[in-house]
Amino acid sequence: MSVDLLYEIGVEEIPANAVLPALAQLESRLGDGLTELGLAASSITMYGTPRRLAVIAKGIPERQPDAVEQYKGPPAQQAFDEQGNPTKAARGFARSRNVDVADLETRATDKGRFVFVQVRRPGQPATEVLPALLRQLTLALSFPKTMRWGDGDIEFARPIRWLVALLGDQVLDLEIAGVRAGRTSRGHRVMGERFIEIRNPSEYQQRLAETGVIVDHRQRQDMILQQASELASQAGGRLRPDFDLLTELNFLVECPTCIRGGFDPRYLELPAEVVVTVLEGHQKAFPVENDAGELLPAFVAVTNASPEAADTVGEGWERVIAPRLADAEFYYHHDTRRPLGSRLESLKRVTFLTGLGNLHQKAQRLEKLVAWLHTQLFGEDEVLHATLCRAAQLCKCDLVTMMVGDLKLAELQGVIGGHYARTSGEPELVAAAIAEHYRPRGPEDSIPISPAGRLLSIADKTDDLVACFRLGLIPSSSADPHGLRRQASGIVEIIMRAGYSFSLMALIEYALQILPTLPPDQETVSIEEVGAELKHFFTGRIQSAWEQRGIDYDIARAVMGVPWDDVTDATRRATVLADMRRDDPEAFTELVTAGERPARITRPEVIPPSITVDSSLFEHPMETTLLQELKAAKERVQEASSGPEADYAAVAASLRGLLPHIHQYFVDVMVMVEDERLRLNRLALLAQIDELFCTIADFLEIVQPGS
Amino acid sequence: MTFQQLIAALDDYWAAQGCHKSYPYEIEMGAGTMSPDTFLRSLGPEPWRVAYVQPSRRPTDGRYGENPYRLQRYFQYQVLIKPSPDDIQDMYLGSLVALGIDLSDHDIRFVEDDWEAPTLGAAGVGWEVWLDGMEITQFTYFQQVGGIQCNPVSIELTYGPERLAMYLQGVDDYRQLQWSQEISYGELRYQEEEQFSQYNFDTADVQMLRRLFEMCEQEALATIQADLPLPAYDYVLKCSHTFNLLDSRGAVSVTERHGTILRIRNLARQVAELYLAQREALGFPLLQA
Repeated sequence: MSVDLLYEIGVEEIPANAVLPALAQLESRLGDGLTELGLAASSITMYGTPRRLAVIAKGIPERQPDAVEQYKGPPAQQAFDEQGNPTKAARGFARSRNVDVADLETRATDKGRFVFVQVRRPGQPATEVLPALLRQLTLALSFPKTMRWGDGDIEFARPIRWLVALLGDQVLDLEIAGVRAGRTSRGHRVMGERFIEIRNPSEYQQRLAETGVIVDHRQRQDMILQQASELASQAGGRLRPDFDLLTELNFLVECPTCIRGGFDPRYLELPAEVVVTVLEGHQKAFPVENDAGELLPAFVAVTNASPEAADTVGEGWERVIAPRLADAEFYYHHDTRRPLGSRLESLKRVTFLTGLGNLHQKAQRLEKLVAWLHTQLFGEDEVLHATLCRAAQLCKCDLVTMMVGDLKLAELQGVIGGHYARTSGEPELVAAAIAEHYRPRGPEDSIPISPAGRLLSIADKTDDLVACFRLGLIPSSSADPHGLRRQASGIVEIIMRAGYSFSLMALIEYALQILPTLPPDQETVSIEEVGAELKHFFTGRIQSAWEQRGIDYDIARAVMGVPWDDVTDATRRATVLADMRRDDPEAFTELVTAGERPARITRPEVIPPSITVDSSLFEHPMETTLLQELKAAKERVQEASSGPEADYAAVAASLRGLLPHIHQYFVDVMVMVEDERLRLNRLALLAQIDELFCTIADFLEIVQPGS
Repeated sequence: MTFQQLIAALDDYWAAQGCHKSYPYEIEMGAGTMSPDTFLRSLGPEPWRVAYVQPSRRPTDGRYGENPYRLQRYFQYQVLIKPSPDDIQDMYLGSLVALGIDLSDHDIRFVEDDWEAPTLGAAGVGWEVWLDGMEITQFTYFQQVGGIQCNPVSIELTYGPERLAMYLQGVDDYRQLQWSQEISYGELRYQEEEQFSQYNFDTADVQMLRRLFEMCEQEALATIQADLPLPAYDYVLKCSHTFNLLDSRGAVSVTERHGTILRIRNLARQVAELYLAQREALGFPLLQA
């Protein structure tokens, strides 16, 4: 016989972004816990709203299976005397396990014969064992932030106010945080019945739906999308999709009712990003746009109210949104009364980082950094050079405008600068570069489109990174308050996507060199150490970018295991190896095998630099062959690596071609011979081969199956 | 419902919930939380139930009286209950009903918003309550005050009475709010907003304020030394308001800001510790009540 379990944790409104992660934890731990108890369910379904974390587990056995447990006692010699009669030790053991001495048996083990007893433990009814499991997994839930309430000391995301725990139609005996589980759930805050009796798990969803609460978040999401799209089309447009906002809204309501509202079309003269931020960010409403992607003076909000209230609620929303847009309009008119460039002076009074001067000085450094990057990557492009210098100079000016000064619009930094550059008559290329120089703002964001935007973004992020590292503000595994990982990943992403080829260390060194001199008391580490720390930091970011591109960790380590300084070049090597492993695993294994053997034998040895390969010392024809093959391979590798882009597929092919010769060499030639001259000569030849393989990677880092 | 009727309705409602009605504390402060009725009384095990209006000064929020929603001096309606009752959300919703709001005709939402007051060493967890998309109340379970863990936990409700009244009266500018049947908010307070904005932003003497800050800080420290946390706290409040004035004069750099906040927090922490120790020495008198 099996029954269904309903467990509902009733809470005061949990933060929207915490519900799904909590449900996922609950689901996996309940599944594991039931299995461990011998009470595995046939299905587990999770339900979440702002006020409840709930689960229905179907097909749970009513009783655990009986179990036979075995206990080990004293050694047989101590337990029985020579006549085979039980001693005090045996009787004591039997008593401790609550069995008869006659039930004891002896058995051989690695350590001699011992006394054992088997105890049959009858399975417990599920009603007996489930409460402890539910209690334990509830208290084990982890949340981004927890709290205490009342005079209790339990920590949870928000106060627990009721519990429903039903196995079939039976209430489980369970208490958490002073709340006793029952069969009484609660309805919607302001609609329908307040208290709802649940007779058994199968009527849970239906009973709550009768009061307006849709407990199934999947169903709520469909309802929101369907209603919101309908309203958007009534407003003559379509919903501007934002999945994160949709998820957040879904967990802010129990009874989703979408409403449509509008605002004065004159606000559409504001930059679209400002209107979208006000609607989405502040008011959590969906903007509506036309087929061309232009905003319409309308929004769709998701409310937790009954449809009858829609008119009142809609009016309320309009009255909240209008003043926010009015604020933004006021800032816009105030800010655009003077050109963006006139704000350069004001940057002098804004501290960049304590000890490292102000934003005006930062802007001056950015000009130098973009000029450096421009020389490395574009040589002499006068238009680009002029664009870069002007954009670098102006890109921080929006930080002293009213619009960006408003905390709730601060995330529009850069974008606002771009708009103001345009209204100030700056060239479009300059405005575009300013607008996109913070991109990518995170792993989901795309990189800047314009070359000037890309270079300015690299320069800005590099300056932030070297400045923070210079001050010892290095991210730890748990804390990264300046978002330095994101910034370094942003640089890596731009370089990889744009295929920029330059020395990363040279950029870091230059950026460190142009930082202001630190006051002596803040000078904790030398510039050289900071450079090394940064390179190490970038290595981690690059490896993580590769991982996302499906490059295995051992390949990443192998490529990083040889001296590298150019992210794009290293990425090409990693990509070629990863492609080869995937598309032609046999060839990949051959390449690795060929690279490994010379490395293994030569690296532990000390070969004086004065030793060069002397063919007059050769004793075997295979030595001559290998030297010739090496020379030929070297030429091919050199050819493939020359030109602007190294052809590492060709390099890999040439290296792999050495395998039969290397193989034969080790069959024919004994390398580690007594005669030092001969030994060093052979090692020198193999060291040259190792060096050639290191053009691509350190193959000792590759993990081969079975190795 | 006029502005003063709204305040009176909240007074009556919370009195019926067992809160005693307190009066504004007469020193300038940025929020009702800073009143000793909340800051000090939330410390320690003694039960506490209070409700009061606190005029709140935020010099940087001034707009010379011209912005329909922003004021440099406005009111907060503050409720503090310790320990937090199990049905506090329903009690709160009841207060909205007492203001004549038919809940079933509106969208009421509890939107995550954790609170932190760096100068007070205080932090809490809770929500902003939305009425049809408008934030009308801050709802906070105190976790830490003056650097001290709260146990039991107090619940703090902070209403924005201007916003609520504007919503209920259907006006879009604070100046049009009916304070009473006879007089409007604007008639009462516009000139004050205009003058104080000028003072806060344009004329306050920065050097004088800097000296004042130092003097108040010294006096707070000396009064703590004299084992008098209640008067010492007055000077912590004066430090805080003087700092806010310096800020509105644009005289606080980013670095200085951080340092000054730490100085005030240090004073607040010492006052909190001393106050709690003295209540303990008295045997926490309200525990017996």
